[in-house]
Amino acid sequence: MHTFFLILSYVVIAYMLFSSLSYLGLFFLAFGKVKREDKLDRRESTEDFLRNQNTYPVSILVPAYNEEVGVVSTVRSLLALEYPEKEVIVIDDGSKDKTSECMIKEFNMTQIPFAVRTHIQTAQINSIYQSSIFPYIRLIKKANGGKADALNAGINLSSYPYFCAIDGDSILENDGLLKTMKPIIESDGQIIVTGGSVRIANGSTISRSKVEVIGLPKNPIVLMQIIEYFRAFLIGRLALSHLNILLIVSGAFGVFNKERVIQAGGYNKNTVGEDMELVVRLHRLLREEKSKQRIEYIPDPVCWTEAPESLEVLRSQRIRWQRGLFETLWSHRKMMLNPKYGAIGLFSMPYFLFVELLGAVFEFLGYFIIFGGFFFSLVDPNIAGVLFLVTIFYGSLISALAVLLEELTLHKYPKVSHLMRLYFWALTEAFWYRPLMVIWRIQGIFAVFQKKAHWGDMKRKGISS
Amino acid sequence: MNIYAFWILNAILFLGQLILLLFLAWRKQKLTAKERTITEQYDALTDVFSSYMMDPSDERFIQEIHSASHKGVVLERLLNGYVSVTKGSVTSPLVAKLSEDFLTARYAKQLMRKSWAIRMNTLYFIEDFHMQSLTPLLKEKLRKTVRLDQETQQLIRTLASLNEPITISVLAQYPDAPVRLYIDVFKRLEEHSSLEELNAALSEETNNKALKHAAISYIGMAGLIAFLPRIEKELQTQDVEIRIQALKSIFHLQYISDPILLTPFFQSLSWQERMFASQIAGRLQLSRFKEVLSELLGDSVWWVRYSSAEALTQFSDGDILLTHLSAYHPDRFARDMATQWKSSLLGSEK
Repeated sequence: MHTFFLILSYVVIAYMLFSSLSYLGLFFLAFGKVKREDKLDRRESTEDFLRNQNTYPVSILVPAYNEEVGVVSTVRSLLALEYPEKEVIVIDDGSKDKTSECMIKEFNMTQIPFAVRTHIQTAQINSIYQSSIFPYIRLIKKANGGKADALNAGINLSSYPYFCAIDGDSILENDGLLKTMKPIIESDGQIIVTGGSVRIANGSTISRSKVEVIGLPKNPIVLMQIIEYFRAFLIGRLALSHLNILLIVSGAFGVFNKERVIQAGGYNKNTVGEDMELVVRLHRLLREEKSKQRIEYIPDPVCWTEAPESLEVLRSQRIRWQRGLFETLWSHRKMMLNPKYGAIGLFSMPYFLFVELLGAVFEFLGYFIIFGGFFFSLVDPNIAGVLFLVTIFYGSLISALAVLLEELTLHKYPKVSHLMRLYFWALTEAFWYRPLMVIWRIQGIFAVFQKKAHWGDMKRKGISS
Repeated sequence: MNIYAFWILNAILFLGQLILLLFLAWRKQKLTAKERTITEQYDALTDVFSSYMMDPSDERFIQEIHSASHKGVVLERLLNGYVSVTKGSVTSPLVAKLSEDFLTARYAKQLMRKSWAIRMNTLYFIEDFHMQSLTPLLKEKLRKTVRLDQETQQLIRTLASLNEPITISVLAQYPDAPVRLYIDVFKRLEEHSSLEELNAALSEETNNKALKHAAISYIGMAGLIAFLPRIEKELQTQDVEIRIQALKSIFHLQYISDPILLTPFFQSLSWQERMFASQIAGRLQLSRFKEVLSELLGDSVWWVRYSSAEALTQFSDGDILLTHLSAYHPDRFARDMATQWKSSLLGSEK
């Protein structure tokens, strides 16, 4: 038994060291690009597109379920977007609250007949409304079918060649769409998806779709999520995007080529991770067609979202994310280690399996052995000590490094005190936040065997005034 | 397994991070203080700058900017603010003069910097401020480029804004030069140069399809009606892409010398041609095509159905036609489309 735990300890130590090094390797890959664009005047680089008739028109889809608190401010923020040609489609997925009523009242909407093209089958559409103040705002009232189904209904109703999916609780910066469309326009359509960087809005002051003051929240749970975002976005997504093997475009904000998405079959209704699943399916389509088209992530923050402030909501969010990841990897298991899918099959899929999905299992075993080693002589205390140090290295020091790297590259938080607070909170990660995440992520793996996909249950306060 | 090695590893990493943290905190403090000074100087100079721009004989701004410790950055921000408000209007000679006097040396140096972002920003500002004095330097830079990367593209735009038609011939050296970049150049050139280049682009000798495509698109966007005969001539070409661009251009020009020219496009195999022909018939209210538009309402392509219904709304009796078609058109999809557009007309009457 002793030998078993000893070997297990070595495996966990090796895993954590390997993962940490892979994080560092990925960061250094992305560092050049972020640093290169650090001083670029974003306003100057996009202002030409504002008056340009050669931009592609975009349909903005806002799937909403029980979003009466945030939906109107989200749509208002979309009205303020600087973009030459756009339409806004809110899809009320059978909300039980007054999501539709709020929209109809605020934007003076009337019911219209509409010849919808059914590219993708969805749950029944009950009615379609159009604003009489802003005719390019429409509302679909449909039977409940989940977020993926709502997005598919939005795709069916949309008129333009690109669509942008944005969560009902998120606020897009005025030039966010322009910044996100820029790579698509400049590549003449060779980039088929762009994922915008999502930032946590709690603690910042957002007014009329503009971030007035960037600040930090007081709640440590939200602070830790900010640090987590740094770790995920700066260390993971940028490098994967650079290699054209990025598997996740945040559900909160992304722009997609509609034709390609329809070709791929739209959003999958049978997974809670519909955003990742679609991106993997698009990669699969591109590789099977041997297409040179790309999926890209832009590091500049363009979308602000409200992070959960309570452990209960955070728990349900993380269980959902982990479940979505598992479902996606499982449904595309054919791509795993398959040379036909190039770097996606040989690198990206195994990376997401071993680092993102199974990481929680290894970490859980690590905590178990540390505890057992120190208190029940499960392993030599010396080994438990090494494991403890590696856990701190993996859990805290890498996150603290992510904070420093953010400051080195994007430095979006303006005060020295912000940097200090983020850094020292990051150091505490391995002692309380990470164990919680590990437990929930493992619960997420088990949740795969639950059948029903549903919307997340987030308690909204609203993030914009 | 030696626990001390791991202690040392963690301690080194932690200490390394602490040093980096202290450095970054110091850098942040310094940058914040610098930014504060720049903002103070900017605020202090805003009023005298506005007075100077309205009345250049008021020289207080010139005297005060000389004493500002960050005069380059402050002036850049003031001028940038000014041009972003007045964008699209005639180039201000005062902006050009101030930037030439105070920023030429700074920008010449910045164009040689290692930082890609700084070089890009400099190109944007040279374009915004119309700094003619830097043209030779930019042309030299363009001569040395071998790739049409983002920086070269901006370099071409900046030179075009300084009215350098050479940019078209440089672009033509790159076979994969995008249409939108040619359009950007046409947009920036002064009217006389632009018309000359458009003429050349449409001439028979041109083998550059992207250039021709761009010229046709730009003529429509800019509403250059004098080119209409040339555009109408392109409707006869064998190249379907060029024909579609020509139709699009006519749609934007809102004029066609002889509506008969449109007739073949309603039966075209290309749905884009059928769609644009419908749109033009609607925009120009060509009532002779009402019947064909009613037929196209039952087209197999959604966009053609959509455009033909939209076109019918443009006629004075469009509501009656659509009401009739929504009830009696033999095609179910056509009836749906007619219903949708009929109700949009009701909405507009409200």
